[in-house]
Amino acid sequence: MTSAVTIPRHGGTGGRTAVAARARQVVKAYGTGETRVVALDAVDVDIARGRFTAIMGPSGSGKSTLMHCLAGLDTVTSGEIHLDETEITGLKDKKLTQLRRDRIGFIFQAFNLLPTLSAIENITLPMDIAGRKPDAEWLRRVVDTVGLSDRLKHRPNQLSGGQQQRVAVARALAARPEIIFGDEPTGNLDSRAGAEVLGFLRQSVDELGQTIVMVTHDPVAASYADRVLYLADGRIVDEMERPTADAVLDRMKDFDARGRTS
Amino acid sequence: MTVLKTSLRNFLAHKGRMALSAVAVLLSVAFVSGTLVFTDTMNTTFDKLFASTASDVSVSPKGAAAADESPQTGRPESLPASLVEQVRKTEGVQAAVGAIASTSVTVVDADDKNVGPTSGAPTIALNWSPNELRSVELVDGHEPRGPTDVVVDGATAEKHGLKIGDELRTIAVDGDFTAKISGIVDFKVTNPGATLVYFDTATAQRELLGKEGLFTQVQADAKPGVSDDALKADIAAAIGDGYKLQTAAEAADAGREDVAGFLDVMKYAMLGFAGIAFLVGIFLIVNTFSMLVAQRTREIGLMRAIGSSRKQINRSVLVEALLLGIVGSVAGVAAGVGLAVGLMKLMSSMGMELSTRDLTVAWTTPVVGLALGIVVTVLAAYIPARRAGKVSPMAALRDAGTPADGKAGRVRGGLGLALTAAGAAALWAATRAEEAGPGSLWLGLGVVLSLLGFIVIGPLLAGGVVRALGVVVLRVFGPVGRMAERNALRNPRRTGATGAALMIGLALVACLSVVGSSMVASATDELDRSVGADFIVQSGTGQPIVPQAQAALEKVTSLDHVTEYKWVDAKVTDTRGRTTTADLAATEPTYMQDLRRETASGTLADAYGKDAMSVGSDYATEHGVKVGDVLTVAFTGGGKAKLKVAAITADTGQVDNGAMYTDVSTVARYVPADRMPKSLLILASAKEGQETQAYEAVKDALAPYPQYKASNQADYKEDLKDQVGQLLNIVYGLLALAIVVAILGVVNTLALSVVERTREIGLMRAIGLSRRQLRRMIRLESVVIALFGALLGLGLGMGWGTAAQKLLALEGLGVLEIPWPTILTVFVGSAFVGLFAALVPAFRAGRMNVLNAIASE
Repeated sequence: MTSAVTIPRHGGTGGRTAVAARARQVVKAYGTGETRVVALDAVDVDIARGRFTAIMGPSGSGKSTLMHCLAGLDTVTSGEIHLDETEITGLKDKKLTQLRRDRIGFIFQAFNLLPTLSAIENITLPMDIAGRKPDAEWLRRVVDTVGLSDRLKHRPNQLSGGQQQRVAVARALAARPEIIFGDEPTGNLDSRAGAEVLGFLRQSVDELGQTIVMVTHDPVAASYADRVLYLADGRIVDEMERPTADAVLDRMKDFDARGRTS
Repeated sequence: MTVLKTSLRNFLAHKGRMALSAVAVLLSVAFVSGTLVFTDTMNTTFDKLFASTASDVSVSPKGAAAADESPQTGRPESLPASLVEQVRKTEGVQAAVGAIASTSVTVVDADDKNVGPTSGAPTIALNWSPNELRSVELVDGHEPRGPTDVVVDGATAEKHGLKIGDELRTIAVDGDFTAKISGIVDFKVTNPGATLVYFDTATAQRELLGKEGLFTQVQADAKPGVSDDALKADIAAAIGDGYKLQTAAEAADAGREDVAGFLDVMKYAMLGFAGIAFLVGIFLIVNTFSMLVAQRTREIGLMRAIGSSRKQINRSVLVEALLLGIVGSVAGVAAGVGLAVGLMKLMSSMGMELSTRDLTVAWTTPVVGLALGIVVTVLAAYIPARRAGKVSPMAALRDAGTPADGKAGRVRGGLGLALTAAGAAALWAATRAEEAGPGSLWLGLGVVLSLLGFIVIGPLLAGGVVRALGVVVLRVFGPVGRMAERNALRNPRRTGATGAALMIGLALVACLSVVGSSMVASATDELDRSVGADFIVQSGTGQPIVPQAQAALEKVTSLDHVTEYKWVDAKVTDTRGRTTTADLAATEPTYMQDLRRETASGTLADAYGKDAMSVGSDYATEHGVKVGDVLTVAFTGGGKAKLKVAAITADTGQVDNGAMYTDVSTVARYVPADRMPKSLLILASAKEGQETQAYEAVKDALAPYPQYKASNQADYKEDLKDQVGQLLNIVYGLLALAIVVAILGVVNTLALSVVERTREIGLMRAIGLSRRQLRRMIRLESVVIALFGALLGLGLGMGWGTAAQKLLALEGLGVLEIPWPTILTVFVGSAFVGLFAALVPAFRAGRMNVLNAIASE
């Protein structure tokens, strides 16, 4: 299935830019005065539509903070973030919540699912919360793609870790968000289950035209992306198009070495 | 040592989570110690009062009624003045004084308003004697010096705005008399509420006892060195038999005994309610510790993994409970003293004066409070503590997600069903009981068993009931409602325990409201069936109806007839010589119209003939009495009469069961006029078509006598309803404590589950659940838990109430009435309780930081 699928999105396709989200001079600092810690230091970044972007960096580099800010989960100290044409910096909680509900999908490292809801209920939850009816045809397709058709009535504790993450992927896809953010989505999985989940993410970009941003520190995971952004000390220090695991790993080693010598 | 240290750290680290449990312990302990302090204080007050008024030895007539009872004749028993002289001359007597005290009086001000207490305490008219100065002091004016002087106590004067020179009218059995206030006295000790008026001795004798030269008591004081007991023996020897002699100690004991009965009832009733609050509190404590243990599973697993024994874990939880118990109980005892003071203020506002001067905290009070609070807390924590001990070391390695509490087991279901079934069987047996005694045992057993059954089976019922409620209440709210339902169902044991706590209080409310409204309905029904009189005149103070009030009624022209009704003490001897004590109902033939009675044999009208009477069917059966038999009736204070049984009334109704009727004129032939009892109540009927005027006229006629109340049938029923309503309100008020603790339990459960579900809440917020939706979800969960408790409680309570009514049908409670408006109000009210309980937890959940909640590292 390589044919380009036209992706029906709410809001229409007309006038869409190639950039799904952009950050301009984003600063995120904690504390004041001497205890001030800068997590993001004037970051500029564009997230290309219909592409799979990975954000890498060592612990404390600010990669998770950047993702949280882009996703409207966290506030910025200064700078602007736009999601498509909407400026999300400065939005009130109510608007932000709506934005996350209607336009963003999430996959977390762990604890992605509500234990009281079945797999299918978890998948449709964002739409249920919004009071929207899921598109049955689309839902079936998503469910088929992630291969969960026979597990829909199961509760999360009856599913394996890989299956749980696949449900999380399905949930993120089902509402057809403009952008999906993944926070180490395979961090808790073994390499086989991880590869499976990453495969689905890749597939959804290729086949469904989905935009995905993923934070990871795993070079193998990053190699599934179209583009890798490297973050260190709160700044974008490098990027790589069409990465391979080896190339990513080499680059990381470079940073580590530089980090040690600097 | 380490156990204590970890426990202390845990306790301090989670003090917020323990706060509500501590409050629950505090409330229950406060109620217990408050009750003890309050009743001890009342005892102190009365002890001081009795001690201050008693002389060394007092001599009273043998038949003298207790201090606060009104004799039927409307005039206290008296002694001749010569006795005072006789006592005074006795060896060892320092001084002897004749005293007069009568409670058969009503004192009204210039506006015909009763200046007597409304709290049930008596109005006491006394003669002024030097002995009075032991308990009171004159603070204004002068003592009573002649027939137009009266001295009144300060509290009464203040309450009714009386001052020197105001005129008071005293209504006594021998007529009304007026006097101007010449002085005001204050009590040296606390006077718990009686109104006192003092006259000079001659006036008191004339107006209260009917003639001069009489006293109601001789008060003697001993010479130095003579003991009260010796003096009592000497006086007894000097004056002979036929008198009641009491030393000061005996008089105080007798007085205390009179009060003690009432105080004990009050004390045990309040302790009972405190016990219910404790029971409810247990659920809260069990839930708190279960949740703390569950949240700490990983931590406990780690402790086990590094070598803590089960016992140590177990003990560490119990030590935390101990700390909680100590904190809650100490605060509770302190709050209890405050509660007692508050209660005293409340009683003061209702006319029962109590002073904080007498505040008595016995050493047992804090001991009992602390012991109860601590023991109950530790016991309640025992099961969660054991569960903590059973946590496997492996728990440390597992993912910390919300632990799945084991599904309520089959054993639980079996046990619960068995208990409930046994309870239902016992309740059924109670409804079938032939006698009240064993029946009430069955009832009690049924109540306890079915309550236990419901508590045990609660978690199982939670599933079904919450789902059913979900269909009705929650589905409206879409996915938020569904999640609330799932959350409530997630841990049935927790929901069950939280709901059960509310269930207990509400079951009692429902049960009592059913019994209360059945009481009103049954009485109303009985009134409709048997009472023919238009008006009922009753005394509100216990003073029998004085002749001048009766005369005023008889002058009302729109009345068809006025029927007096007296009780005459007598010993009745049947044909076989067996004697029983009975109150004969002396009345008039018109009484047959006023109260319809069925006769088993004979004609009731004949019982009003000369030297005739009627008996009840129970008496007739027991004594083998038939119509035509002659009974010997020895009237107290009068002669012996031989009365022919002319009718046997059927003892089927509720009113006047077993009464022996005879005509007033028959009694008058054997009892001298001054020993003749006064009317207890008066019934009257209006002339045809003049009911309204007659009612007004009757009220007008009684206006100068505010101690009597005239009601027509409608008002009488209304009064009855109000009285039952008031009683129920007091009980509901006391049950409110248990309900408050139960509400705390709901708050506690919600607050702790919000903490437990931090990550879930974060996830939901991240994927787009708005604050409003989140808060609504928690509120709905709370409402469902509350409604679950209410449904169980109301169902259980109505069952109890119905069984109680069927049992009480033996005592005339023939009509079952379920007060649906009350039941419905309670049900809807509990939904609001749920909303209210969720306020803080929902607010806190909404304020939770999304990022912190989902932070995975």
